[in-house]
Amino acid sequence: MDSDLLKQLGDSLGANGLPYPLPVHPNLVHITLGLFIIGIAFDIAGVLFPLEKSILKFLSLTAVRSNFFDVGWYNVLAAAIVTFATVAFGFYEMLLATPDPKVTSAWGLNAMETMLWHGVGGVALLALMVGMAVWRGFQRFAWRKDMIRQVQWSYIMAGLAIFFLMYVHGTLGAQLAAEFGVHNTADRLLRMGENPNLYFQQ
Amino acid sequence: MLDYLPPLNEHNLPYPDTIHPIVVHFVIAMVLFAFLCDFIGVFTKNTRLYEVSWWNLFFATVAIFIAVMFGQVEAGLAEPYAAVQTTLNLHTVIGWSLSAVLAGMTAWRFVLRTKDPQTLPVAYLSVSLVLVGVVCLQTYLGDQLVWMYGLHTVPVVEAIREGAL
Repeated sequence: MDSDLLKQLGDSLGANGLPYPLPVHPNLVHITLGLFIIGIAFDIAGVLFPLEKSILKFLSLTAVRSNFFDVGWYNVLAAAIVTFATVAFGFYEMLLATPDPKVTSAWGLNAMETMLWHGVGGVALLALMVGMAVWRGFQRFAWRKDMIRQVQWSYIMAGLAIFFLMYVHGTLGAQLAAEFGVHNTADRLLRMGENPNLYFQQ
Repeated sequence: MLDYLPPLNEHNLPYPDTIHPIVVHFVIAMVLFAFLCDFIGVFTKNTRLYEVSWWNLFFATVAIFIAVMFGQVEAGLAEPYAAVQTTLNLHTVIGWSLSAVLAGMTAWRFVLRTKDPQTLPVAYLSVSLVLVGVVCLQTYLGDQLVWMYGLHTVPVVEAIREGAL
């Protein structure tokens, strides 16, 4: 955001450019990614269950196939719900972002391009995750309710494609943090010519 | 010996980006979700959620050891400046301890589940609430290392290399 516009907020923003000490979006991202990826992984484990039987037996781990599909369903459902908050905080914090305009990322993009792709990608991923949760719900409660293998191969394939999008999207987000220094206190202090070591030891 | 390693990039890493913060996605998400599932399971008497909780906890335990390994590598390459050292030391100590505590919780849960998968004792639920607290504290400290102190971010690595920090 333009620094003249940010001045309208007065001195409510701290050294990291936010009204609170640590950004919230990256923490919600942990939940979004962790739950979604594990959800799909458990559905894959459920689909391939016959192959795992000997391993589970070797480890003396009791496992019921339908429980793997329970994990697949609840994890993806929770991921879809929490991602609304992830995207909301993402946009709030991106509107307050003042990245270094002189920097080009490892992928050859400047700050504005990176933020636009990360913003659009975030909304697209939210839509895809909600779509996946709904699709998963139909499989669980209607189409494949009485089937031993609760999920379709196409659902698994769609999940893997979303993993790839998440990798691209997550890397853009990581670049905003670690290359452009968005809402990063030490990076912002360095850009203003201050010494973070002295600042934090005060 | 350092000649055998790939050269360090502008993040002071031998690979493109930090891996530890990616692996901790799984630990944080699964520990918190395991607790949430137990909690909802107790109140709705939906014991199926106990199994969801167990599998999340089991893989959170697998993930935390990978997280500690990458954490140790990346902490070793962080070259923390004076102001960061206390936080990094605390994060390291809690991280190692948490891997032991989480493994202990999973073992306890394994025994409980083997005996009776339909019930959860109050003692277990209380300790898992403490575990959630420690995971949140650990996440908070990790957040500080990245977002306040900027470890492995390009501007901070650059300043350290120039001797400015």
